[in-house]
Order: sequence, then structure tokens, then C-alpha cells
Amino acid sequence: MASGAVGVSRVRTRLADPAVRRVAITQAIIYFILIVGAAVSILPFLYTVSVSLMNLTEATGGRALPTTPQWNNYVEAWHDAQFSLYFMNSVKITLISVGGALVFCALAAYAFAQMEFPGKTFLFTLLLSTLMLPEAITWVPNFITVSWLGRISPVPWLNNWPSLTIPFMASAFGIFLLRQFFQQIPQELWDSAQIDGSGHLRYLIKVVLPLSSAAVMTLVLFGFVGAWNALAWPILVTTTPDWRPISYGLLSFLDEAGALLHLQMAGAIITMLPIVVLYFFTQRHFIEGIATTGLKG
Amino acid sequence: MAVQNWENDLHVDSTASQHAAFRSDLQQQVRAAPSWFRGRQGRRLREMLLAYSFLAPAFLIIGLFGLFPLAFAAYESTLRGLNKIVGSYDGLGNYVKAVDNLIYILTFWIAIGLAYFAVTTIARAVREHRQENTNAMRWVLPAIVTATGAALFARFVFVLLPEMLLIPSKLRGQNNTQEAFRGLVVETWWLPKVQIALWVAIILLAGGAAWAMRVNRSVARDSRDPIYFVPFFSAGISLISGGALIWLTWNEINAAYAEALEEGVGLELWSQIVTISAGFLLLLLAWRLWESAGHRTSNTGMAVRLVSAVALMAGAWVLIAELPRVVSAGDEDWWNGLMATVFYVMGTVPIQLGLALILAALLFQKIRGQTLFRVLYFLPYVAPFVGTAAVFRIIFSNRPTAPLNSMLDLFGADPLLWLGEPSGIIEMITGGRIDLGPILSGPSLALVAIMIYGIWTYVGFDTVIFLAGLGAIPNELYEVADIDGAGGWAQFRHVTLPLLSPTIYFLSLYAVIGTFKAFNHIFVLRQAAALGTTDTASIVIFQAFKRDTRYGYASALAILLLLIIMVITLVNNRIASRRVFYG
Repeated sequence: MASGAVGVSRVRTRLADPAVRRVAITQAIIYFILIVGAAVSILPFLYTVSVSLMNLTEATGGRALPTTPQWNNYVEAWHDAQFSLYFMNSVKITLISVGGALVFCALAAYAFAQMEFPGKTFLFTLLLSTLMLPEAITWVPNFITVSWLGRISPVPWLNNWPSLTIPFMASAFGIFLLRQFFQQIPQELWDSAQIDGSGHLRYLIKVVLPLSSAAVMTLVLFGFVGAWNALAWPILVTTTPDWRPISYGLLSFLDEAGALLHLQMAGAIITMLPIVVLYFFTQRHFIEGIATTGLKG
Repeated sequence: MAVQNWENDLHVDSTASQHAAFRSDLQQQVRAAPSWFRGRQGRRLREMLLAYSFLAPAFLIIGLFGLFPLAFAAYESTLRGLNKIVGSYDGLGNYVKAVDNLIYILTFWIAIGLAYFAVTTIARAVREHRQENTNAMRWVLPAIVTATGAALFARFVFVLLPEMLLIPSKLRGQNNTQEAFRGLVVETWWLPKVQIALWVAIILLAGGAAWAMRVNRSVARDSRDPIYFVPFFSAGISLISGGALIWLTWNEINAAYAEALEEGVGLELWSQIVTISAGFLLLLLAWRLWESAGHRTSNTGMAVRLVSAVALMAGAWVLIAELPRVVSAGDEDWWNGLMATVFYVMGTVPIQLGLALILAALLFQKIRGQTLFRVLYFLPYVAPFVGTAAVFRIIFSNRPTAPLNSMLDLFGADPLLWLGEPSGIIEMITGGRIDLGPILSGPSLALVAIMIYGIWTYVGFDTVIFLAGLGAIPNELYEVADIDGAGGWAQFRHVTLPLLSPTIYFLSLYAVIGTFKAFNHIFVLRQAAALGTTDTASIVIFQAFKRDTRYGYASALAILLLLIIMVITLVNNRIASRRVFYG
């Protein structure tokens, strides 16, 4: 009690000093702006949670908080929107495409980082130039290619996993990201690996990949988010819900649910939750991955 | 198991190569290596083959789904037809439908640009060749052979594609089984004209490459000459494609004239081409003069600036008189889409970067809870956008009890339609008393709502990258600035901003290209009530493809979008090479 009073009076005497007071005021302004920014960032999410727990009259009545949380909304949305199907679809699509991307991107990135071959610069420039292409230019050709490939391969491609996963198994972004990390591995390691009689493939699997686990993690996370977010391409290649991923599923549910705002928001929460939870656990990888590739891009 | 074996092979292989390398160094002085697969040369060859096999899967996928679509879209865009993959050949017809006669001017100037690029590249190589007495000229022939091979390979694609695409319609009426389809694919592949096109291309490509390698080896032995293969190769490619483009345009213009003659109407094509080109040339000239004025003494500088201002006005006047006529003859949806895209870029990118810069600069001041703030700011960017867009659909809803409208109600204002409001914001502010035309009335309120969503999503992403850029600025610079007595603002202006310019440049390019590509969230947020005022270029393309099933037309629009993005990148690169400071 007494010490608290002393503390307050000490702060007061320090604030009497104009220089200290100016610093304190600037600090207060800075924190104020930062907190407003943070509030703008997360308020829509809090609002979503709130509406998802209301009943219909509350949701359309413009209230800020539900009187009693309606947890049943989630169950209802889950059943109405066939979320169990879309969820499994997205998980399967993510696993296949991220797994493939990991293997193919790691191999290509290793070749660019560690090996010598003619046409290296040319191929790398060609690769990076695909980053500039708008997605729109690939829609028509890839749709035709995919339906054509479905006619000659043993499994159909349209309305099936190949069209949703195989085109995403290699990306310029992934190769570039991994190459940036592979290049930082000291050359001495390769020299000693060679002396131990190790070839390129073994060195890649046993030494390079374990050392770049951060980059691999980033690639996996971005693959996950990309697969979860895919919308335009799934709309083009799925006409039935059998392989429809979750973003498209949520979009069709939003149109079906119409005025049932509380169910719409429950569906939105169900869709966002896995990614948001994943993000909070691995945010360091997300942010550092973005920062390293972004700066050097 | 197979992988294991491969690994073992590699293992044995490389140990063997270790010993072989050791021995070959000794042997080389005694006698030449017995086989070209052994020794140092052989090891390099093996590494090369291994590298290509590492690259193969990734490049197969990226090639098929990332690069091949370019050629495919170019081919598809020349076809007519509704709800048909292969229609009849229509030349530039789809482009004419989209942008009218502007397409002839475009192709003409692209061809000129390609030729200019080729000539300058060759000229630079020749100049270096003269000055430094290098042996550049021996690269000319192999490079030209390879470039011809590459062009013929592109031709092979255009021979094979139509044949392959015809297969489904050949099967119509017959028993449409997978076996029959596969049989026809094999049959098409072995067609004589396909095979000839393929082998001519492959032989030229391989021959050129082998020749270039031989030249490379002989060069490496006697001097340290730079390799001139790439400049000559790219010059050859751009000359060939420029020529093809001119030939296509010429045929198209003649066809258009013949058609007009048949219908008995005149065609003002040439006069349009000349006036619009002249307008753009004058603008370009004005810009160059203005730039050069900076280097001169004040009086001449003034004069040059005056001349350039006159040129600018003349060019602008010509364009203002001529362009609207072309625009009104093109596809209204497409021009509106481009206009919406430009509004979207101008309305989001500066605000988004400015806000992010402020937040990053503040966060960088050793703030308590920096990590927490960063995590929260980044959240809108990672959260699945269909989910967040669904929330914004409710926030920007037209119901009187929706969040934003109830806030307006607090201030006594009437509710707005938000995402369903097609009229422009400037028109709404002025109360619609004056007719401002489509451009001056500004983006529709619906588009503004989508812009707010876009800014909300990307500010956190930009902040994170700005923070990384700020972290890369060495601390000593600030200490020195402190000693020199620079205050907080002066430090920001003279130390932080210049050193941050590469980041700012990267982010602005990324944001502009990103907004030109933007599709997903706009597709979720668009409403029929907004009467298409929110449809950006990508949405227009998607609708032409998915809703109207006009494959050729959608491809043509996509190619036009790609051209716009390429021009933006080029201009941005030019500006950046002058303004960006890479400390």
C-alpha cells in the first residue's frame, strides 16, 4: 500500500520533468495508434464469433453480443453445409499437393543451389518469370489440358484429385524459397560429405533437408494455406461436391444459407479455425518465411 | 525399394568417381582419358545429367501448367466459337471485339519493340567485340541456328495442338471409349506433318546447342572471353517473333479491308493507327525531353522543358480526340473491368503501403509487445479469405441494422447500400446533380467497400515486410545521424526512407501486380446489385470463360491482361533503376 503510493508519487515527480513528459506522451500516442491498428485487425474476427453464437433474430437485429450463446449453430452449420465432406476433401488435397511439392521443389531447388549445369541462369530466369503470369491466363488452357489428360490417363482428372493437386505440386515460389535456404548451407559440408562418399541425393536427404527444416516448414504452411484458399480453379474443375474443397464449399453454403447470418458466420468460423490455430502455433515460421522471400524477391 | 537402389548406385558411383578423379589427374598428363564418360569431363557430364533429372519433375509440371498455357492461350485466342474448344480460325477477331482497332496498333508496336530490342542487343555485342577485341562473332551462327530451332519448336506446338484438340469431335457419334481416344492420340502423334515439324525443330535445337558447346570449349581454352550466346539467341528469337507478328497483323489488316470493301463501307483503320501512334510517340518524346532537361544549364533546360510541354499537350490532345472512339467501339465490359482495376490499384496500393509504413516505423521503436502486435496485424492476411470476406459481406450489408449502417444511424445519416451500390462515390458526394461521366464519378461505393477489405487484408503483410526491411538497416547510420544532430523526422527522411526504397519498390510492384491479378475476394464480395461496377479484369475474364463459355475470347482478354502486367513491370523496373538506392 505504502510502496504503491511512493511509486505513484515518484512517477508524478518524473512526469513533472518536461523532457520525460514529452517522451511519455509520444509513447502514449504510439501505443494508441498501434492498439487502434490491432483492434481494426481483429474486430471482424471477434464480430464473427459473436454473430455465430446468436439466434436468427439477434443476428439480423444488429446486436453486438448474443444473450445466450447458441453453440448448436456450429452443429447445424456443419451438417447443413456438408462440412465433413469438404473438410476431408481439403485435407486430402492439401496432403497430396504439399507432399508432392515438397519432393519436387526440394529436388529442383537443390539443383539450382548446389549443382553446375549449362542453362542454369536461363532456366532460373524462366522459372521466376512464371511468377509474373496472371492466374487468369492459365484458366482456359489448363482446363482444356486437364480434361484432355483425363481422357488418356487411367483416372479421370475433372471432378477428381489429379486436377486439384498435380498442377500445384511444383511452384516457382517453393523452389525459390528452398533455394534461398539451401544456398546458405556452408560449402564445407558438401566437401566433407563427398569425402565420406555421399552422392548428391543422399546429401540432400541426410544433410540439406534437416538443416533447412525452417524453410520446409514454411513451404508446408504456405501449401496448406494455398490449398485451403483455392477458389477459382476448383470452381472450374469440380461440378459435383465429391472433391469440392472447403473454400468453394463455404461459398456455396453462403449462397444457400441466404439470410441465416448466424449459420453463415458459424460456417466461416469452421473454415477459418484450422488455419488460424495453425498460424498461432507457427506464426514465427509464417512471418519469417514471408520476410526472407519477400525481401530478396 | 527402388529409391534405395538408386541411392546405393549413386553412392557407389560417386566413390568410384572420387578415385577416378584422383587417378585421372595423373593420367591426363600421360595420355588422354580413355572414355568421355570418365575423368573430370565425365564427372561434369554426370553431374549435369543428374541435375537435369532433379529438375525434370518440377519443370514438367511448371512447363505443362505454367508456361505451356501461354502458347496455348495465344493459339486459343485466335479461334472463334461459343461453347466450343476448337472453333474456326478467326485471326485477331477476338482482340478486335475487345479493344477494336487498338489491337493492330498494339501488335505493330510490340513488333517494333522486339526489333528494337534485337538491334540494340546485337549492337552492344558488336561494340564490345570491336573495343575489347573479343571473338563475339563466332557465336552468331550457333545462336541463330538454336533460335530458329526454338521458333520451329513453337511451330511444332501449333501444328500438334489443333490436331490433338480435334480428337474429341472426331469421336462424336462413334463409340466414345477411352481406348478409341488413346488410339486417336497415338495416331495423331505419328502424323507425318507432326513428326516432320518435331524432328526439324529437334535437329536444329540440338545442332545449335552442340555447336555452341563446341565454340564454348574452344573459347575457354584460349581466352577469357565472355559468352555471347544469350544476346544473339534472344535477339534471334525476338526478330523471328516480331516478324511473325508483323506478318499476322498485315494479313489481318488486309482481310479487314477486304471485308469492309465487300460491305461497301470505308475503313478508317490506317488513319487511326497513325494518329494514335503519333499521340503516344509525342508523349514518349515529351517524357524523354523532360528527363534530359535536368542535365542542362538553366536556360537551355527551360527551353527544352517548354518544348517537351508543347509535345506533351499535342500528344495528349491527339489521344483524347482519338482514343474514346476506339474505346467505345470495343467491349464495354472489358473497358469497365480495366477501369475498375485501375481504380482498385490507385485506391488500395498507396493507402495500404502508407499505413503499413507508419505501423512498421512505430513498431520498430522498441515497443513492448512487438511480437503480439505483429501477430495480430498479420492475422487478416493468413485467415482464409472466403471466411473473412463472408464477414465483410455482413459488415457492408445494406440492411439498416448491419454494423456500418447502424453506425451511420448513430450520426443521423441514412443507411447506404454499400456492396450493392453501383453509383460512383464522387457522384454520390456531389449529390448526382452534375453528370460526371464514367471516369470522373469515381469507383462505385461497392468497389470502395471491396477496396477497404483489400487494404484490411494486406496492411499486415506489408507491415511485416517493412519491419524486415527496417531491421536490415545498420544501426550505426542512426548513431551517426544522432551525432550530427538529426531529429527523429530528419532521420526517417534521410536515412530510413532511402535505405528502405528497395523494399518499397518491391512491395509496390508486388501490390500493383497482385491487384491486377486479384480475383478471389472480389468474386466472393461482388453482388448483382452493383451492376458489374466491381468486376475487375480477372472477373471479366472468368465470366467470359465460365458463364459465357467463350474460350477464345477469354484467352484473348487474358493475353491482353498479361501485356498490361508486363508493361507495368517494365516501367516499374525503369523507374526503380533510377530512384531505388541499393545501399
